[in-house]
Amino acid sequence: MLSRVADSLYWMARYLERAEHTSRLIAVKLESMIEQSTADAEASWARVAVALATDGVTADADDIFAITQRLAFDRDNPSSLLSSLRMARDNARQVREQLSTEVWEHLNRLYLRLQPVTIQSTWVHQPARVFRESLEELQTLEGVTFSTLRHGEGWHFLELGRYIERAQLVSRLLDIHFGVDAPGYAAPPPPPKYLDWLVLLKFCTAFEPYCKEYTAAIRPERIAEFLLFDPEFPHSVKFAVDRVRDALARVAPGAPPSRRAACERLAGRLKAAVDFGQIDELIGGSIDPFLVEITHQCEQIHEAVYAAYIAYGAETVL
Amino acid sequence: MQHETLANAEDMGSPDGVLLPVPPVRLGRDAPYAKYALGAAYDEMFSADGDVREHCAALHGRLATLPPEELIRRQQACEQSFLQQGITFTVYSDKQATERIIPTDLLPRLVTADEWERIDRGLTQRIRALNMFLRDIYTDGRVLKDGVVPRPMIYGSKHYRREMRGLPVPHGAYVNVCGTDLVRREDGAFVVLEDNLRVPSGVSYMLANREVVRRAFPGVFRAAGVRAIDHYPQELLATLKSLAPFQEDVSIAVLTPGVFNSAYFEHAFLARQMGVELVEGRDLLINDNVVFARTTSGLKRIDVIYRRVDDDFIDPLIFREDSSLGVPGIFNAYRAGNVVIANALGTGVADDKAVYAYVPRLIRYYLSEEPILDNVETYLCREPKQLGYVLANLDKLVVKAVGESGGYGMLVGPHASLAERDAFAQKLKADPENYIAQPTIQLSTAPTFVDGGVEARHVDLRPFILHGEKTTIVPGGLTRVALRRGSLVVNSSQGGGSKDTWVLSA
Repeated sequence: MLSRVADSLYWMARYLERAEHTSRLIAVKLESMIEQSTADAEASWARVAVALATDGVTADADDIFAITQRLAFDRDNPSSLLSSLRMARDNARQVREQLSTEVWEHLNRLYLRLQPVTIQSTWVHQPARVFRESLEELQTLEGVTFSTLRHGEGWHFLELGRYIERAQLVSRLLDIHFGVDAPGYAAPPPPPKYLDWLVLLKFCTAFEPYCKEYTAAIRPERIAEFLLFDPEFPHSVKFAVDRVRDALARVAPGAPPSRRAACERLAGRLKAAVDFGQIDELIGGSIDPFLVEITHQCEQIHEAVYAAYIAYGAETVL
Repeated sequence: MQHETLANAEDMGSPDGVLLPVPPVRLGRDAPYAKYALGAAYDEMFSADGDVREHCAALHGRLATLPPEELIRRQQACEQSFLQQGITFTVYSDKQATERIIPTDLLPRLVTADEWERIDRGLTQRIRALNMFLRDIYTDGRVLKDGVVPRPMIYGSKHYRREMRGLPVPHGAYVNVCGTDLVRREDGAFVVLEDNLRVPSGVSYMLANREVVRRAFPGVFRAAGVRAIDHYPQELLATLKSLAPFQEDVSIAVLTPGVFNSAYFEHAFLARQMGVELVEGRDLLINDNVVFARTTSGLKRIDVIYRRVDDDFIDPLIFREDSSLGVPGIFNAYRAGNVVIANALGTGVADDKAVYAYVPRLIRYYLSEEPILDNVETYLCREPKQLGYVLANLDKLVVKAVGESGGYGMLVGPHASLAERDAFAQKLKADPENYIAQPTIQLSTAPTFVDGGVEARHVDLRPFILHGEKTTIVPGGLTRVALRRGSLVVNSSQGGGSKDTWVLSA
């Protein structure tokens, strides 16, 4: 597979994952805030704003309109929902011939449908609706991708992008909820309350799966354990790390072992960290460095993939 | 949705394409033909006295029985389909980049089996002669020594590539993909307006138009016996493969300038349909005069490149050094015979408007045959007598600059003011070799869907000719239509649209 194509597929998947995550956080937050007091809702919105702000710029926590505008519809915010969708589609367009017609047209339709949407038009009736719809469309797209694309190398680059992004997004969300000195705040918000833990589960579509595993008893350390270490839940960090490692074993089938070594070593190291992590040890106070380390290792894997398969110099292979 | 199913089911049910008895429709009086005006031009559907041509009867009747709102709905379905497929080009204005579709007209343009048979023979003859001409001027130059074509016209052309002299080209096929623009004269005969021998585009529209228009008129389509065009990508692949020095495991790629090129959709479409790699210049590198693509597993050798990048931009070491679209060193790999580039470089010298005037003579010279398809009558301003005629008749002629395309650098005499004609006359006298002139041709008109009714609009026809070991022409082409009433300019950059072209099998 052409390196440029692999690059586009990888980023297409990352941006789609980001768009899905953003849609879900905003939808869940808009739906849940009616049950919260003003102060609690503000604290909770502040967490969403920090979780989704890649550039460190956040709107005032007391202005939900402004926060949503910035996170969803601000075209100048590179990580807004619309920007993520545009980037996903731009990348898809560059590898149009590698995608199935179904995948391309589904993504293109979603893009064309959301481009003209403004916050003013969504705010009138049920503001959460457009985010629910976007979420559903993105999940459908994932299914269409699964069932119409060959599960060959291109597919594994999509998987790699999706799960590297997911591992980082979930880690960040956990850091904001469990961290002692969580990043990105001017003044730290009050600690999460009962409803906030419920919302955290919903941010990760984890509420029902969690209840099946641990019953409806909401206990923060069990939530952390589930979202970090559950091997079977698709939005847990461990699940994502396992997929990253699987994908790395399958991309670039023709590359010699010497070129694969760095990526495989880094993926194995990350897998060991989540395989052998213990929630009881982390909750005592070392959860911040642990989560930061996961994010950092994901970045190292990204760089290693680029060095080995995407942006290598011709002199290294001739 | 319900409505669509019903309409289509009804359409499909008819064995002859006409379901309901067709009410008497008077041209210029009754819907949907109330605004249909016949002029001096040949009309594709109606004879001069307003009778429906036999091969158009089914379509004519179908249009008469469909209510205007149904036609409008089908037209919108077409446009929606193009938008969803992303068959768009991007228009850049100050800050916003907007995507637009090239307007596709709902109504197909029909070509009879007899007409096509002549076109097919004529174009095959023409491409053979043009390829022999290219081989000649890049090797012995016999045609120049014999004085058939003036030497300065070739060696002075900005599209003549000295670098190509003496290079062997597989099967002597310089032009592998050609798009020839045909128009109909007032007497109904197809004549050649222009050969496009460099990187002709539009074939994806030919295929995409078929997809949507077939869906809009399934009954008429089936009953008409329309010849298939869907195999174009396979034929293109076979043509490209035939250019390789070996036939096992030939590695083929389509070279595109990238996603910002207005024809990017077509490049991606063809690569996908052929099942070959779509590459950009930055994906390729040259080592030891061999072309490689950078892949995740290492470097992969490329044997044949169907390039959609102009000569000027293909190799910054040889041609334009400011080009970032091309591949440094690719020309040396080509010269070494390690890669085939299709079309070959330097083919533009044979489609310039002055050489065009000589093509009938080239056909006689190389093939000892009479041209099957005529040229449009052309005056060469480089010849003093003809220049005199052109200057005296500027108000009746279209004058074109030799090296330009896309409707730029031309004077349309009958539509120009006296001052414009005088200004142009000065340019002509200053640089006569750069101009040719032709009488204004009344391109034929075809029924076109306008504002809920059917009106006559001018059209041309661009079939695509594939030429490698053998010549293949898929029965069809891109019909371009000037959507503005009375306009003769069909270029998409100047308000043109396109139509599906149905070549009938009998």
